[in-house]
Amino acid sequence: MARIELQNLRKEFGRSVVAVKDLSLTIEDGEFLVMVGPSGCGKTTTLRMIAGFEDPSSGEIRMDGATVNELEPGDRNLGMVFQSHALFPHKTVAQNIEFGPRMQKIEPETRRRRVREVAEMVRIAHLLDKMPGQCSGGESQRVALARTLITEPDTFLLDEPLSSLDAKLRREMRAEVDRLHQELGKTFIYVTHDQEEAMTLADRIVVMRAGEIEQVGTPLEIYSDPVSLFVADFFGSPSMNLIPGTIEKSDGDVVFRNARTSISLPPAFSGAEPGPGTLGIRPEHLTVGTEGELVEKIHLVEPLGKDTLLYFDYGGEDDLIAIVDGVSSYRAGTELGIRFTPEHLFLFHESGRRIGRAG
Amino acid sequence: MAMSRARKKTVFEVGRYTILVIWLLIVAFPMFWVISTSFKPDHEWFAWPPVYWSQEPTLNNYLNVWTDYSEYEDTQYIKSLQKPWIALRNSLIISLTSTFLAVGFGAILAYGVSRYRILSETRMFQLLMLRMVPPIVVVAPLSLYYSTLGLLDTVIGLVIVYFLTTLPYAVWMTKSFIDEVPREVEQAAMILGASRWRTIWEVVLPLVRSGLVATFLFILILTWSEYLLALILSKTEVVTLPVELSKYEGSTEGRVYGRQAALAVGVTIPLVIIGVFIRKHLARGFSFGMVRR
Ligand SMILES: Nc1ncnc2c1ncn2[C@@H]1O[C@H](COP(=O)(O)OP(=O)(O)O)[C@@H](O)[C@H]1O
Ligand SMILES: [Mg+2]
Repeated sequence: MARIELQNLRKEFGRSVVAVKDLSLTIEDGEFLVMVGPSGCGKTTTLRMIAGFEDPSSGEIRMDGATVNELEPGDRNLGMVFQSHALFPHKTVAQNIEFGPRMQKIEPETRRRRVREVAEMVRIAHLLDKMPGQCSGGESQRVALARTLITEPDTFLLDEPLSSLDAKLRREMRAEVDRLHQELGKTFIYVTHDQEEAMTLADRIVVMRAGEIEQVGTPLEIYSDPVSLFVADFFGSPSMNLIPGTIEKSDGDVVFRNARTSISLPPAFSGAEPGPGTLGIRPEHLTVGTEGELVEKIHLVEPLGKDTLLYFDYGGEDDLIAIVDGVSSYRAGTELGIRFTPEHLFLFHESGRRIGRAG
Repeated sequence: MAMSRARKKTVFEVGRYTILVIWLLIVAFPMFWVISTSFKPDHEWFAWPPVYWSQEPTLNNYLNVWTDYSEYEDTQYIKSLQKPWIALRNSLIISLTSTFLAVGFGAILAYGVSRYRILSETRMFQLLMLRMVPPIVVVAPLSLYYSTLGLLDTVIGLVIVYFLTTLPYAVWMTKSFIDEVPREVEQAAMILGASRWRTIWEVVLPLVRSGLVATFLFILILTWSEYLLALILSKTEVVTLPVELSKYEGSTEGRVYGRQAALAVGVTIPLVIIGVFIRKHLARGFSFGMVRR
C-alpha cells in the first residue's frame, strides 16, 4: 500500500529561487503518475522531496496517512531510478543488484536467488559478472531498474529514466516500464519532459509549469481538454495549430479574425470577451478540400507513411499543419481550401487561459 | 620561404624534444650527481676537473653511513655512527603518522565541505592562504609555545606541527576527488537502505581511494623532506633524516660529500619504494578524474 499525499509542498533554494510552489497532489495506490513539463519546472525537486533527498521549505508529505517529512530516504519504502542511472561503478552488476538486500541483511542464499530472478525479469542475466562501465546505456538502465526492483518498494520514483537513450531503445524501454508496472501493480511516479512518454505511460498526467501544477488529468483529458495554451501546445505531435488574431463580437455572434481570414465561432464561445486571442486546432481536425475558411498554397508535403503532413504558410509564425491520408498525392504549390471542424476549435485568452471550456 | 606541412611538423617536433631533453638534463643531473658521488672514494669528491664516473667505485660511503664498518676510525664523523638509522626511524614514525592523520582528517573535512558545505568558498581559500605563510615566520613563536608545552624535541611535537601544516593541502586535494563522486550514486545507496557511514565506506571510499593514495604520497613527500621546522623544533633528541643529512657538512675533516650522498640515496629509497608500491593508484589519482561514470 502506498497512497502519497503532497500538501502545499514548497521548495526554495536560497532567497530568490522558488523551485516548487505550494504543490498539492494525491497519488493513489498502484497508480502510474507521470509528472511532465519543460526543463526547470521543478519536477526533479518534487521527486527528490518525496524521496527525502531535499527537505521541503514548507508543506507536508504523507504516505498512507502518516507524515514522512522526517524519515530518512532509506526508511520511506521507496525505490528510485535516477536519470544518470547512478550505478556503483566499482561493483559488478550482480553486486549492484545485491546491494539493497544486503543492506536489509537478507541471507546470502536468498539474495543470490533473488538477484537471478530480478535479472531475468529485466533480461540482464547474462550481464551479472560485468562492470557497469562495460554496459551500454540500455543495459545500465535495466541494471538500475533491477537494483530497485529487488527491494520490492511500495513506490517507484523514476526521474527521466529513459532520456539518455536513443529513440528506438527509448520505445523499447518504455514498453518494459509499462509491463513492469502492470506486473507489479505498485505506485509509479515518473518524471519526464517528453509528452509522448507521458501520454503512452500515464494513468494520470500532472503538467507542471514554473513550479506549479498547470493541469492534472488522464492522457485523454489532457489532450482533448487542455486548460491553457501551454498545455495545448505541449501535448500532441505534430503540435496544435495556434493562430493569433482578435476576438470580435457582432450581434451576439463571436468571430475570430486575423489578416487572412475570419471564422465565426460556435455558440460555445459566446462568453468570450472581445480582444486579442489565439485560435487552436489540432492538425487532425483540419480538413482540406476545394473550399474552406482559409485558402492557401501547400508549402511543404511531408509523407510519414501512414499519414502525410501538409504545411501551409498562412503568414503566421509557424506553418499551419494538416494531417491527411498517407496514400493521397498532394504536391507543394497546390492551392487548397482548409476547413476548421467547429467542435474541435480551442480559443485562448491573451493570458493563455482557455476560453469556453466546458465544466 | 614556404615550408611544407610535413617539414613544419618535423621542425616543431625537433624543437619540442630539444626542450624536453634539456629540461630532463636539468632535472636529472643533480640526481645523477648524488648517486655517482655516493660511489666515489674521498679524493674524487671534489676533484677538479670533476669526476663523473668514478675510476675506483666503492661501497665505503654506504658501509660507513649505514653500518658499523669504517675505515676512518679516527675521524670525528665516526662518533655519529648509527645515527642515520635512528633518524630513519624517527622520520618514518613522524612522517607516516602525521600524513595518515592529515589525510584522514582532511578527507573527513573535505567530505563535509563537498556535501554539506560546512566551509564556505572563502573559508576554504583562507585555509589554503594559511599555507602561503612562510614557515620561518611562525617558527619562532611556535618554538616558544612548544617549549612551554614541553613539545620541543619530541616526536609528538613534530607530528602535530606536520599534521597541522599539511592539513590544508589534504583538504583541498581530497575535496577535488570527493567532488568527482556523483551525489546520485551516494543517494542511490541511501535509498537502498544504507546508512550514511555505510555509504561512505562502501561507495565513496572505494571511488576516491586512488585520490587518497595520491594525496597521501604528496603529503608524505612534503613531511619526509621538511627541514626548517624539524631543525628548530627538535635539534638534539629527535633528529629526522633531512636534519641528519645536514650534519654531514662542516664536520672537522671538511665536507664529507660521499657520505652525504650515500645518506641522501638512502633517504630517497623509501619514497621510491612506496611510489612503486602504489603506482597504479598514482596515475589515476594524479589525473584528477578517476571516477568512471
Ligand atoms: N540545489 C539547487 N540549488 C539551487 N537551485 C536549484 C537546485 N536544484 C534545482 N534548482 C532550481 O530549481 C528549479 C527546478 O529545478 P528541477 O526540479 O531540477 O527542474 P526539472 O527537473 O523540472 O528540470 C530550476 O530553476 C533549478 O535551477
Ligand atoms: Mg530534472
